[in-house]
Amino acid sequence: MALATAALPSFAASAVEFVEALTIVLAVGVTRGWRAPLIGTLAALVTLAVVIATLGVAIVTIVPEHLLKAIVGALLLLFGLRWLRKAILRFAGIVAIHDEELIYQRELAALHAQGQKRTAFDRIGAIVAYKAVLLEGTEVAFIVIAFGAGGTQALNAAIVGAIAAGIVVTALGIALRAPLTLVPENWLKFGVGAILSAFGVFWFTEGLGFAWPGDALSLVVLLAIFLTVSFIAVRMLRWLLPTGAQVAGRNV
Amino acid sequence: MRFVWENVVGLVIEDSQLAIGIVVTLGITWGLSTLGDKVQDVIGWLLLALLIIVLLGNLVVTARRAKRRLA
Repeated sequence: MALATAALPSFAASAVEFVEALTIVLAVGVTRGWRAPLIGTLAALVTLAVVIATLGVAIVTIVPEHLLKAIVGALLLLFGLRWLRKAILRFAGIVAIHDEELIYQRELAALHAQGQKRTAFDRIGAIVAYKAVLLEGTEVAFIVIAFGAGGTQALNAAIVGAIAAGIVVTALGIALRAPLTLVPENWLKFGVGAILSAFGVFWFTEGLGFAWPGDALSLVVLLAIFLTVSFIAVRMLRWLLPTGAQVAGRNV
Repeated sequence: MRFVWENVVGLVIEDSQLAIGIVVTLGITWGLSTLGDKVQDVIGWLLLALLIIVLLGNLVVTARRAKRRLA
């Protein structure tokens, strides 16, 4: 059960984040050398570990279980519906589709433009990698908490799923030395947004004392409802906007 | 720490209208859950329905804004 409700969704969602972090680290490494981005990546992982260990342990030990579920549920809804909204806008043509190759090329151009002194430590490269890994790593932490909120077994499964995703994506990155454009990120984000939202509704109301019929099985129903609504929303938005109309994502 | 904090806030708040809508919905659901067993029995489905309304409302507003910009 923990494999289906925690490990696999955690793997898929974390893989998306690792792919995004890999794109930036690769761009830095290819343009400016590998020492600085690897140090930046390591520093970000240490920062993440410290933050998760201190805050995570403090929250889990101090906050009562019901309140914890409600807090996790609320955060998941804020996080998941944000993903789902963006995915719907992308599929409706209002926001540009996420293109890993384009992001990689833009990052390469920006890093080339920065210039570099060969003798000095590449501070810019380290900071860019640090920020990217920290940002995507924080999202992975959210994902692990989301799918692991059901208890120790679920948490362990979610952690294993995320670590496995990290290993697979890193190994592919090392082997290919190129951004992983074949990963269907837009579809994955759509699905993960719906999954996170379904978990959010489930945990928040469980925290309020509501017992879902069929317990964890009701997650399937919640997920189906979110996916159906999203599909209808995409059709509705396409109908609202003129054919072919696209606006820059950052302006929406 | 500031960067971490900004990241965490950025993770959950991209569109402030949606974030406010979700927080208000959660507040309403929490408030209703304290009213008694009858409301408590449907609180999960009520939250789901309210969130769908908030999401669809936000999407329509965003699409209209985009349409105005294109016009």
